[in-house]
Amino acid sequence: MSRQLTLGAAINEAIHIAMQTDPTVVLMGEDVAGGGGREGEDIDEMGGVLGTTRGLVKAFPDRVLDTPISEMGMMGTGVGAAATGLRPIVELMFVDFLGTCLDPLLNQAAKLRYMLGGKARIPLTVRTVTGAGMQAAAQHSQSLYWITAGIPGLKTVIPSNPADAKGLLLAAIRDDNPVVFCEPKLVLGARGEVPEGDYEVPIGKASRLREGDDVTLVGFGGTVPICQKAAATLAGEDGIEADVIDLRSLQPLDEEAILASLERTGRLVVVDESTPRSSVASDVAALCVDRGFDFLEAPVKRVTAPHGPVPFSRPLEQAYIPSAERVVAAVREQG
Amino acid sequence: MAAQPIAMPRLGMTMEEGTVVQWPIAVDAKVARGVIVLVIETEKAESEIEATVDGVLRHVYVEPGETVPCGALLAAVTDSADDPFDADAFAAAYVPPDGPAAEAGEPAPETSAASEAAPRARAGGGGRKPIAPAARALAKKLGIDPSGIDGTGPNGRVTKADVEAFAARRADLTEVEPGIGLEVLREGHEERAAKGEPVALLPGLGTDVSAFALLTPRLATHFEVIGVNSRGVGHSDAPEADCYTVERAADDVAAVLGGPAHLVGASLGAAVAIELALRHPDRVRSLVLLTPFVEARPRLAAFARAWQRARAEASPAAVAEILAPWLFGDALLGDAAARERVLRGLAQTVQRTSADTLARQAAGLQAWSGSRAGDLSDLSAPTLVLAGGDDLLVPDAASVAAAIPNAKCEVLPGCGHALAIDGADDVALRILAHLKDASHGARST
Repeated sequence: MSRQLTLGAAINEAIHIAMQTDPTVVLMGEDVAGGGGREGEDIDEMGGVLGTTRGLVKAFPDRVLDTPISEMGMMGTGVGAAATGLRPIVELMFVDFLGTCLDPLLNQAAKLRYMLGGKARIPLTVRTVTGAGMQAAAQHSQSLYWITAGIPGLKTVIPSNPADAKGLLLAAIRDDNPVVFCEPKLVLGARGEVPEGDYEVPIGKASRLREGDDVTLVGFGGTVPICQKAAATLAGEDGIEADVIDLRSLQPLDEEAILASLERTGRLVVVDESTPRSSVASDVAALCVDRGFDFLEAPVKRVTAPHGPVPFSRPLEQAYIPSAERVVAAVREQG
Repeated sequence: MAAQPIAMPRLGMTMEEGTVVQWPIAVDAKVARGVIVLVIETEKAESEIEATVDGVLRHVYVEPGETVPCGALLAAVTDSADDPFDADAFAAAYVPPDGPAAEAGEPAPETSAASEAAPRARAGGGGRKPIAPAARALAKKLGIDPSGIDGTGPNGRVTKADVEAFAARRADLTEVEPGIGLEVLREGHEERAAKGEPVALLPGLGTDVSAFALLTPRLATHFEVIGVNSRGVGHSDAPEADCYTVERAADDVAAVLGGPAHLVGASLGAAVAIELALRHPDRVRSLVLLTPFVEARPRLAAFARAWQRARAEASPAAVAEILAPWLFGDALLGDAAARERVLRGLAQTVQRTSADTLARQAAGLQAWSGSRAGDLSDLSAPTLVLAGGDDLLVPDAASVAAAIPNAKCEVLPGCGHALAIDGADDVALRILAHLKDASHGARST
C-alpha cells in the first residue's frame, strides 16, 4: 500500500518498530521526550526539537529518556549502556555539537570491540541532524559526517529519502557496532513513499536512482535531489544521460557501485554538502583516480560547499549549498 | 588583465630558434584561448600555436619570414583593442622566459595572472599531449601509440572516441612493418583465382591511387588490381622518421603484395617499380613504366618544390591550376571541358598528400636518382615503357626503355607527364595488351 511520509516521520516509524520488536532499545537525548510537560502542557507537546520523536514517550514511557544538556553525559551513558546489554539510540540534536562529546565516540565506542578482542559489542546508534538550509547559522548547520566517516570502528549512514531513512535506521539500530545516522535538514521534510512494516536497508550499499551512460553523479543525503535535478536538466538541455548514485552509507563506502558506474560513463561528478577538505567528495574522487583511472575520460569534479562557515543570511546560505546549476556547470566543463 | 606576450615557443629539447610563417589572425582582431594564433616553422616542420589567453592580437613584433630565438617576444595580446598599450614599452619590459619553462605558446610568467594560463598551455602546447586516461588505456590495449592521434576533446584532449576512430581507420590499413600501415585499394578481388597474378598500381609523386581512377575499372575486368598508397599518402601512416626512400617504398609494396605481380608505376611510382624489380626480381611478373626516369632531373625537382610550397600556402584548386601545365599536354589543356574535369579531380587528389609528405618523397627520390642507372640491364621481366610526346618533366623516358633488355617503348603523341589521366584510354589498352602477352609468356615458360 502506498503511503507518503516525511523523512522525519519515517524515522519516527522506524524507532517505533525498533522499540516494539526489541525491548533493549532505548532512546535518549535532549527533549526527545517531546519538550513539553510544563504546567498545562502535554509532555509530548513538541515531539522533540524538530518533532521527530513525537509519540514515543507515550508508547514507551520507561525507555525514552530526556537528558540534561550535556552531550558528553548522554554519549558516555549511551556507550556504557551499549557495552552492558542495551541497544541505545542517542540523539545528538545537531552534529555541530559533536566536539563536546567526541571522546566517548572516538575513543570508546569506536575502539572497545577491537581492544577487547571482540568480546564487547557496542550496538549504539547516534542520530544527528546535519547540514544547512534552515538558516540555523554557522554553529547549527555544518555537515560534519566526514569526521565520523573517517574514524575506524564507526559506521556513518545518511539517507536521502523517507523509505531509505526508515530501513537504514532499523539496520543501524540492529547493528552490533556503533552507527552514526545523519538526518540532513535539506531532506528532513521531504515526502516520499514509505513501505509499511519492518524492513532494513543494508548498510554499505549505494543505490542507483537513475540510469545513464554519459556521466555519473554521486550524491548522498541532501545532495541527492540536487543531483536528480541536475540530471533532468542535462537530459533536457544537453542530451546528457546521467547515472545517479546515492551513496546512502559513507562508511563503509560502496566503492564497487561507484567504480561500476564510472566504468559505464567515464565521467564522474561528486556532490557533497560539506566543505571540501578531507571530505567524502575528495575521498570518492581519490577512489576514482586510484582504482578507476583507466575509466576516466574527463577530470573528476567535486561540487561542495566552499571552505568556510555556513552563512546565516538566506541568500548567502543558498549560494553556499551546492546547487543543481553548479552540478550542470561541472558536467559541461568536463566536455 | 595586463598585456600578455606571445613568445617563440620551444617545441623540443633541441629547438633553439624558430621562424614565423604566418599570423592567421589580423592585428586588433579577437583571439580566444585554444584558437590558432600563430604558425611557426622549425627544422622544416610547421607547427600551429594556440592562443592561451582571450583578448585581441594587439601588436606583432616579428613578421612572417623572420627567424628569432626561442623565448623571443613575437606579439602582445590585450583584453581589448581599446586598452592602453605601449608596444615599445611592453617590448622593453619583456623578459624572455628561460629554460624549459618556455613551452609552446605559454605566456612568459610576467605576472601572477600568467600562472592560471600555464597549465592550459602545457596541456595544449608542445609538452605532454593531453590524453584521457580511458583513451590511454584503450590505446594500450589496442597496441596503438596515442601520440599519433589528434584529440578532439577540451584542450585538444585525446578521447576514447578518438582512439576508437583511429583504430577503425587503422584496421583498414595493411601493415608493412610494426606500427606502419598503408592504405591499399583492391578491385576485381572476388575472382582473383581466375585472373592470375594481380596488377599493382604505384602512383607518382604527390598523388594517390585515385590518379589511376580512369585505368582501374578497365584493368579490373581482367585482373585483380591492387593500388598502394605509400607512406604519408591518403590514409596511410605518415611516420615522422626519415623513411620515405624509394628503396623503402619498394620493400613496402613487396610486403603488401606478398607474392608476384605485374607492376604499373607512374613517374616516382615507376622508380619504385624499377627498384622493386631489382631488389626482388621474383616478385615481378612484368613491368609497365609510365614516364620513367633514373637520373636526377632538376626540372622535376624544382616542380616538386613548387608543388610543396603551393600545397602549404594555396588552396587545392589553386594547386591543381599550378600543376596542370606541367602534367598535361596541349591537347587536353586546350579542351576547356576536359581541362575543368581534370582540374576538379586533381584538386581532390592533391589533398591526399601533405606538403610534408611531398618534401619527404622528393628527398627520397633525389637520393635515389642516379643510383640505378647502371643496373637497368639486370631487369629481366617483360617491360613496357610508355612516354608522353608532350611531357615537359620527363621528355626522354625512351632512354630508360633503351637500357632495359627487350623493353618495348611506346610514345603517346600529344600527351603530358600524367599519362594515366592524359592518355587514359590509350594507356589502358596498351597496358592490357602488354599484360596479356606477359601472362601468356609466363604460362608458356
